Amino acid sequence: MIVVQALVNGLVSGTLLAVPAIGFTAMFAVLRFPNFAVSGVATLGAFAGYLAYGAGLQMAGSLAAAFVAAGLAGLLFDKIAHLPLVKEGALPAAIASIATGLVLENVVRLGFGNEPRGYDRPIARDVFFGEIRVSPQQLETMGLALALMLAVFAALAFTRIGKAMRATADNPDLAALKGIRPERIATLASLIGMGLVGVGGMLLGLDSSIDPLTGTRILLSLFAAAVLGGLGSVPGAVLGAFLIGIAEELSVLVVGSQYRAAVGFVAILAVLTLRPRGLLGERAF
Amino acid sequence: MSLLEIAGLRGGYAAADEIVKGADLSVAHGEIVALIGPNGAGKSTLLKLVAGLLKPSGGDVRFKGRDIAGQSAPAISRQGLSFVPQERNVFGAMSVAENLVMGGYIDGGHTRQRIADLYERFPMLGEKRRAAARTLSGGQRQILAMAIALMNAPDLLLLDEPTAGLSPRAAEELFGTIVGLNRSGVAILMVEQNALEALSVSARGYVLVQGRPEREGRAAELAADPTVRDLFLGGKSQPMLGDNGERSHRGMGGST
Repeated sequence: MIVVQALVNGLVSGTLLAVPAIGFTAMFAVLRFPNFAVSGVATLGAFAGYLAYGAGLQMAGSLAAAFVAAGLAGLLFDKIAHLPLVKEGALPAAIASIATGLVLENVVRLGFGNEPRGYDRPIARDVFFGEIRVSPQQLETMGLALALMLAVFAALAFTRIGKAMRATADNPDLAALKGIRPERIATLASLIGMGLVGVGGMLLGLDSSIDPLTGTRILLSLFAAAVLGGLGSVPGAVLGAFLIGIAEELSVLVVGSQYRAAVGFVAILAVLTLRPRGLLGERAF
Repeated sequence: MSLLEIAGLRGGYAAADEIVKGADLSVAHGEIVALIGPNGAGKSTLLKLVAGLLKPSGGDVRFKGRDIAGQSAPAISRQGLSFVPQERNVFGAMSVAENLVMGGYIDGGHTRQRIADLYERFPMLGEKRRAAARTLSGGQRQILAMAIALMNAPDLLLLDEPTAGLSPRAAEELFGTIVGLNRSGVAILMVEQNALEALSVSARGYVLVQGRPEREGRAAELAADPTVRDLFLGGKSQPMLGDNGERSHRGMGGST
């Protein structure tokens, strides 16, 4: 039974992890570099949502605040720091994005200090399904995460701009030939990708507490999820997030919680060794 | 007045490295013109200069009487000149239907109607509308690439080696498709390695050597010209000699 409980917990954390993992992989698909600033941006989103929630906004409104703050910050740093470097290769841009993450982390530290803070959510009794325990708040955040994911999938599959984004990720030269403006798609990718990362930071913080290292703690799991599913593949990021979430919870039963972080490393190592293109390959959405 | 009129066109991938060195060429309304020549002659570069993917360093390109030299590729495309690249000419991860929608992105109008028309003209595309483009065979992919280019109802298609990498049979089918397209009123300028095959479906041809048209004329005359044949018999055109009957058969189609 304890294994089933761990599986359920893994599904919950996997759902939450999937949101920023989609953002990360979508940015990679369009902008062609791994944007490690997601650590700082996730933290920023978590704190923006914290302020909005504290100011009396509902959960959905607070998530929107997290989305906007993180999206704008991500876009700003992409424009001034990362994208000018992509021309030199993915590595310089990736290194610059690590620096951006550190900058944002310390901006948050300057404003809020190091103490953990909790979203002041009403306490609710856990719900039991047989012997499996789930909190109503977990169900709520899971529902929000799933709704957001569906919205992203629908936008990519059915809207003109969503298709243009997939086309640019798939074949940038042909997309440009057909009049799809690459700068516009890049701007959109930064804004939405980082917005999702900010929402993810808040969703993952809702369950526990947030501090300046909130985003840094999920960076490895998030990156592992994207690599496992296939960098650049949105369905892959979702699949990877579920697998990493479940593996992390199960690992606690086997090797103890202090080695939980090793799951991400092991997953990345295994994928790079056995299947470098990831489980779904780079199917670009 | 010709549909496309090129005079003294020069250019290449870099200013210091001119590959096309003063090319004169024209395509009339509704005509198929083959651009042939040895490897490295600058055939594909010439197409890219015309399509706006490379900036000419000199010369004139007039399309429907307007000077288009130096304009961006989408701007040229919007005026009715569609370029089909040799490689990476479809969106591999997207469905056939989505590929066509993206082809229509350029002018944004009549998308549904044009897709319906293309399904009618190429039933294969309709049957595979939900399939990812990367799952198509080589010949099917070339048809999709042309269909994408047809989505903004062009007057002129530029085809960059459409039969490259295809089996002889698939290449032959594709040439048939190109002739059919042309009969519907689209003029075609194509670069081809399968030189004699290409001439057999074309009205006129140009032989490009080292960035300049060395010869031009009616396709049938070029195909019969011993010096032109020599130029290609040294290379990969050996198999084409074997199917003379085939060629003369299709030569009739090309004269339309």
